[in-house]
Amino acid sequence: MPKTFHPKVLTANDLINGNSVFLTPEGWSDRIADAMTALTPDQASDLEALGSRGVDQNDVVGPYLVDVSLDSDAPVPLTRRERIRAAGRPSIAFIEAPKVGQAA
Amino acid sequence: MLLDASGPIVDHWTNLDDPEFEIQQDGQVIVPLHRLGQALERRAATGVLIPNDADLEELKPFFNRLDLIAVDFPSFADGRGFSIAVRLRDLGYRGRLRAHGPVIADQFAYLLDCGFDEAWVPDAVADRQPAEQWLAQLGKITHVYQRGRPGQRSILDQRRDARVSAG
Amino acid sequence: MYRYDEFDHRFVAERTSEFRGQVQRRLEGSLTEDEFKPLRLMNGLYLQLHAYMLRVAIPYGTLNSRQMRMLAHIAETWDKGYGHFTTRQNIQFNWPKLKDVPDILDALASVEMHAIQTSGNCIRNTTSDPLSAVAPEEIEDPRVTAELIRQWSSLHPEFTFLGRKFKIAVTASDQDRVALKLHDIGVQIVQKDGRTGYRVLVGGGMGRTPMVAKELRGFLPREDLLPYLEASMRVYNLHGRRDNKYKARIKILVHEIEIDAFRDQVEAEFVQMDRSAVAAPSEEVDRIIAYFVPPTLPPQAEDNAAIARMRKVDPEFDAWMRRNIHIHKRPGYRAVTISLKPIGGVPGDATAEQMRAMADLAKSYANDELRVTHEQNIVLPHVAVGDLYQIYRGLAAIGLDAPNKGLVTDIIACPGLDYCGLATARSIPVAQAISTRLADRQEEIGPLQVKISGCINACGHHHVGHIGILGLDKAGTESYQITLGGDATETAALGERTGPGFGYDEVPVVVEKLVDTYLDKREAKETFLQTYRRVGMEPFKEALYAA
Repeated sequence: MPKTFHPKVLTANDLINGNSVFLTPEGWSDRIADAMTALTPDQASDLEALGSRGVDQNDVVGPYLVDVSLDSDAPVPLTRRERIRAAGRPSIAFIEAPKVGQAA
Repeated sequence: MLLDASGPIVDHWTNLDDPEFEIQQDGQVIVPLHRLGQALERRAATGVLIPNDADLEELKPFFNRLDLIAVDFPSFADGRGFSIAVRLRDLGYRGRLRAHGPVIADQFAYLLDCGFDEAWVPDAVADRQPAEQWLAQLGKITHVYQRGRPGQRSILDQRRDARVSAG
Repeated sequence: MYRYDEFDHRFVAERTSEFRGQVQRRLEGSLTEDEFKPLRLMNGLYLQLHAYMLRVAIPYGTLNSRQMRMLAHIAETWDKGYGHFTTRQNIQFNWPKLKDVPDILDALASVEMHAIQTSGNCIRNTTSDPLSAVAPEEIEDPRVTAELIRQWSSLHPEFTFLGRKFKIAVTASDQDRVALKLHDIGVQIVQKDGRTGYRVLVGGGMGRTPMVAKELRGFLPREDLLPYLEASMRVYNLHGRRDNKYKARIKILVHEIEIDAFRDQVEAEFVQMDRSAVAAPSEEVDRIIAYFVPPTLPPQAEDNAAIARMRKVDPEFDAWMRRNIHIHKRPGYRAVTISLKPIGGVPGDATAEQMRAMADLAKSYANDELRVTHEQNIVLPHVAVGDLYQIYRGLAAIGLDAPNKGLVTDIIACPGLDYCGLATARSIPVAQAISTRLADRQEEIGPLQVKISGCINACGHHHVGHIGILGLDKAGTESYQITLGGDATETAALGERTGPGFGYDEVPVVVEKLVDTYLDKREAKETFLQTYRRVGMEPFKEALYAA
């Protein structure tokens, strides 16, 4: 039985600054909201081809497709890993704010 | 591209990696390990290409009849060849030692330090990394900590010399 | 502590310059990503979930205040104002940009630090005892040996493209604070018949196939150390598996051919090699020893009335004194553990401000030294008893006064799904939730090590946690397996799985049930581990799974 096709976006890391980026009509962006979405396997292949070009041009490294839901305004990745990645930051506060002055 | 510490050199060897090739009586040829016996029946100079899991003890009896041993590097990341070279030198091989495969310029100093004399790389590597990069790389790290290497003077020995000269 | 001479300086400077060139060649296309990746890894640079990550070595865990301040400077200048201390005496910066990394490496070199071989399939940062020159029972300062190994292993021409990473730890104590038996090679300084030498262990490790190291050599004369390591590495490099990266560690080779056969090969190699050509000259060893002469510490009274009084007045200080202070070989001195595990915090993280404050405290009160522990904490090694309250106040001012060393909230956790490209589940928030939930009971619970990994690679040491937690992905949902009875010390043991895993939200409750079971079963002053070893898995299993 063929698996359900989930809409996809193409992601990678920017070669120079390392940020996770998504392929948009205007090139690579750190905003998943702007990402081009593939609604069919053919469109997904097209995205991958564009991703390979980004690798060849030394724009990005490691492009891959991410399954997303299109139920809200912006694409939302289906897995927690990709949601954290798309947010561009960890799911937690970087560090607990120091308890400055508490001992005083 | 074939190069040694001085830069690109002419490859006088014919690499007979195709099993169909006939081994001619004349000419310097590099043969695969399993055809070594056949090649050594000739008078001309003989080299052998060995895989990086070869049993070196078996090769040892032929050392003084071999003018070249080429050690295969299936990938630059497979570093067994470095230890093969060290062990060949430890076992007493004094002939030419070649690294054969897609090693990269950034490994050149390591290769020479382990006892290799030269490296042969396919065009795919040479096109991106011309000889200048290989030679530049040799000058990048001018001191090493390890002792007992043919290529460079060890920092440990230099420290000792500095102490001696300082009295 | 060790200081670079002209050769060390030049070596690190050349390495940094080499990396600058490699970055350039990557951008120009001379190096493909496949070629560049191992090169950047060997300079500590990963590409993680959100960004590049730079792992900086703190050799044998020792640094001075100037170096700590430089770490703070790097965090502020090129990162987001904080860093993460790891289980192998490194610090990680989570947000550097590739183009800035050569500058960061230059900044490190200016204070005699580097990121060489903190990653990649090579010999990693050699770790050692955070209580070196402190612990009364140590035979000698193990950092002399660790520095010798650091130099020998740096850019070793033969062992820079191994089948897999290779980790070495050194201790001079029979009380293991370095997880010696969980290393590829563990070097223990021992004495036999009046001579000091080495006991060499091999084949330990965590990851997906955890193993406790076995003894390779019971006693190795001092001068044979480097030749013996070289022989061991050569056997591994030639015969370790290359067909499967998950079976490429030395532990698998030792396991597959068995320790006796492995030993035979190493000894054969050792006998035939030119040992004198490889061994460090004794003058070189003496030169390093001179850097590690015990610090000049003015005599201090062992008892200090003012401190005793403050302990009575300030119960929080008293709690901290009970937990975070270690006895010192010099009377009137202590080592202080600075816990990087504030309740509900991120284990091992420190802000630039905190780093500077710790540097100041080290400079003022601890002979200008700091140590990084494999539990992701910091140690101030040489503190006069009379200064302890000042230090405590200084730490409280920056939120690093948690009195929890070795307690249930002193959790080791890997970065997990929040940072790591390999992770399959979150680790940090799990640690935070456990810490918050059990903080009020931690003193009553006593020594209990919780260790959390966010994937099978086990960077969070879950195999050797008294309670180990392994986060996995099960059909798109995080699932956490629990192991019990692990131990990273001289009585090393691998934890045993309780049974099926638990959901993300359940983990704190699960840990609490395990704690309650222990408190219910414990006799006299038993620790969690002692009770577990006495009563076994059953009661804990029942508490978790009985309907």
